[in-house]
Amino acid sequence: MTPTLSLSQLKKSYGSQRVLDGVTFDVPPGSIVGLLGPNGAGKSTLIRSIMGIVEPDGGEVLLSGQPWSREGARGIGYLPEERGLYKDMRVGQQAVYFAQLKGMKKPEAVASLKTWFERLEVQGWWDKKVSDISKGMAQKIQFICTVVHQPKLLILDEPLSGFDPINARRIIEEVRSLAADGTSVLLSTHDMPSVERLCDQVVMLNQGRVVLSGSSSELRETGWDGSQEVLFKGNDMAFTNALGALANLDSIGPTSISGVRKARIRLRDGVEPTDVLRALTQTMEVMEFIKVRPTMETLFIDAVSKVESETTAES
Amino acid sequence: MNYGLIQAVVSREWRTRVLKPSFLLATLLLPVVSIGFVVGAILLTESAEVNNTVLVEDAPGLISRLDRASGQYVPRCPGCFPERQNLNYHFTQEAPADSIWQAEGHTVLVEYDGSILQNQSGYLVYEKSPGASAKRNIERDLSRAMEHARVLESTELNWSAYQALKMNVNLVDRGIEKGQRVKGGGDEIRGGIGFMFSALLLLVLMIYGGVIMRSVVEEKANHVVEVLVAAVRPEELLLGKVVGLGAVAVTQLLAWTILSSLGFSVFQFLFDSGTIGQAATLGSGEVPADLLTLMAENDGLSHLLDIQWSVMIGGAIAFYIGGYLLYGSLFAAVGSSVQSEQEGQGMILPITAPLMFGYFAATMAVENPDLPILEWLGWFPLTSPVIMLVRIAGGVALWEVALSWALLMLTARLTLGLAGRLYRFGVLHDGSRSGWKLLVHWMQGHGK
Repeated sequence: MTPTLSLSQLKKSYGSQRVLDGVTFDVPPGSIVGLLGPNGAGKSTLIRSIMGIVEPDGGEVLLSGQPWSREGARGIGYLPEERGLYKDMRVGQQAVYFAQLKGMKKPEAVASLKTWFERLEVQGWWDKKVSDISKGMAQKIQFICTVVHQPKLLILDEPLSGFDPINARRIIEEVRSLAADGTSVLLSTHDMPSVERLCDQVVMLNQGRVVLSGSSSELRETGWDGSQEVLFKGNDMAFTNALGALANLDSIGPTSISGVRKARIRLRDGVEPTDVLRALTQTMEVMEFIKVRPTMETLFIDAVSKVESETTAES
Repeated sequence: MNYGLIQAVVSREWRTRVLKPSFLLATLLLPVVSIGFVVGAILLTESAEVNNTVLVEDAPGLISRLDRASGQYVPRCPGCFPERQNLNYHFTQEAPADSIWQAEGHTVLVEYDGSILQNQSGYLVYEKSPGASAKRNIERDLSRAMEHARVLESTELNWSAYQALKMNVNLVDRGIEKGQRVKGGGDEIRGGIGFMFSALLLLVLMIYGGVIMRSVVEEKANHVVEVLVAAVRPEELLLGKVVGLGAVAVTQLLAWTILSSLGFSVFQFLFDSGTIGQAATLGSGEVPADLLTLMAENDGLSHLLDIQWSVMIGGAIAFYIGGYLLYGSLFAAVGSSVQSEQEGQGMILPITAPLMFGYFAATMAVENPDLPILEWLGWFPLTSPVIMLVRIAGGVALWEVALSWALLMLTARLTLGLAGRLYRFGVLHDGSRSGWKLLVHWMQGHGK
């Protein structure tokens, strides 16, 4: 299936500073791709290059298999990190204006906006001035303005900033729903839990290069270092003896349940979890034996640290 | 260019400003206040005028004689004391006490002795001042009467013969065009009209240039701009903004013109019907005339008819458009490179310097429209909008107007492109650096 967005060897420099260095990845239809990276990694420049705000020095941007065009980019729903609304306009009037800039006719825009206003329960704010509404409410309006024209591709830069947990969940649900309906989403954020909850795939940028990419589950599986969490009834000495040479013990301690202990172990190379479980159950009652995969945050920090240490070594 | 998007931007800029209560108030209030000021001044002047009954104490008997039939002193030269509004003359050769002439109903006493013919001086006695205008008229009438007395006393001429000998040379302007003599003169009047157009253009450019700059700074400050430039090319956005705000200016000027014309029509009707303003014409002894006839009979105002008004109005519209696009895009470029309006004010001066220079040159054009420097400034696009309006009013070949405008529009188009490029870099620039160095940096294509 043709990717909704396909980037190939995208390059951009500002003077002597290389901001994008051969960035390549795809956003398949209906998928949510997380774009991660530390500050200054090139995320904003990458997004602006896709939107045509910044002209890349090299590489290719394909939108649904077609070479980049202004008309194609206008169809993208873009929610920038630095976003705002005209304070001297009324909410509805402003939303219609943004929809018109996206190529919608006024009646069509009004109808679609009314639906979205009801869906996000902001219909009472249509005639209010922007200066009279709260920041969270303004964020909702901005989200509506981004999706009103039913874009095939959504680019959301820190979409949850400014939202309280309830409204953040609401937006996450809407993004999921749009993806389920076939909209592709490129989500740039520093909020790792939302990446884990939302993203099918992740692309990590550092110093303008893709340092890690793949599906979230694959990445977490690949990054697994053999950690297991074990809940058991028994004494610590017996537990250590049962582990023997199969795994290293990282930590051990009590739990809130009387007589139940919790240990964190790391399997040695070549050892399967079933081997350890078999050894433990021979001497004690094992209540839980859970594979502990790395969080996206851990993977992110590890990947960034790795690149930085390589750069330091090269220089 | 996507004209649908430009139209949406134009519409937003226009609607959000024109539908503001403050705009409506300013648009309605200015003509009302201006007309009210003029009418108020006229009414105030009228109400301030008082009836003066003047007693001329002609003790030496120089200008009056006793009319045996009526037993009253009358002027020897009745024509020297024309009938004037609010000024009635009576004569005496006695010297009444102040209390007496006042009790007789006189408000002013003119007093002199025989030496007046030498030292040309007398007294004006009053309890309440008759006003500067009345005093001037009394002096004028008395001087004429004394002149009459001296003519009769010191020459053998009679008054009519003396009047016939008086000369008042009038030089009528005649220009030479293509070897033919044509009607000339009226440069100051025509130049003044052109200068008024120039001054208005300068005002519009300065006011609305500032509005454009503020609008760009505001969009940067409230972070709307990134959403906008993602949907609309910066050049289109810039053009939409400049045209939209230009439309606001046109709306305001149009409203002012219509309201002022209505106000003038009402004033003219009141003037013609004698409700206001007739005092002066009746007082001077002339037949009451309507306002337009008075204008047509006025030597200076008749030169207004010499102006090619179709070229003048058409030229004004054309140069307003060109000048506005040129300077509007420059103001927008400045706005995109700064973080606050105050910062932008400091950068405006070099941009508006040519315009100000043109404006001062235009003041010279009023006096002398044929200065060679004005011709050159008329070709230079940064000064041509203000200069050409004065030159058109003074009379200039149509091809010169067309070529100057073409140069202006070409420059405006190039400036718009350049400003769009600067705007593209500038609107996303939120760093601490700003100023001319940054603009030059962007012009070279380095942006962030």
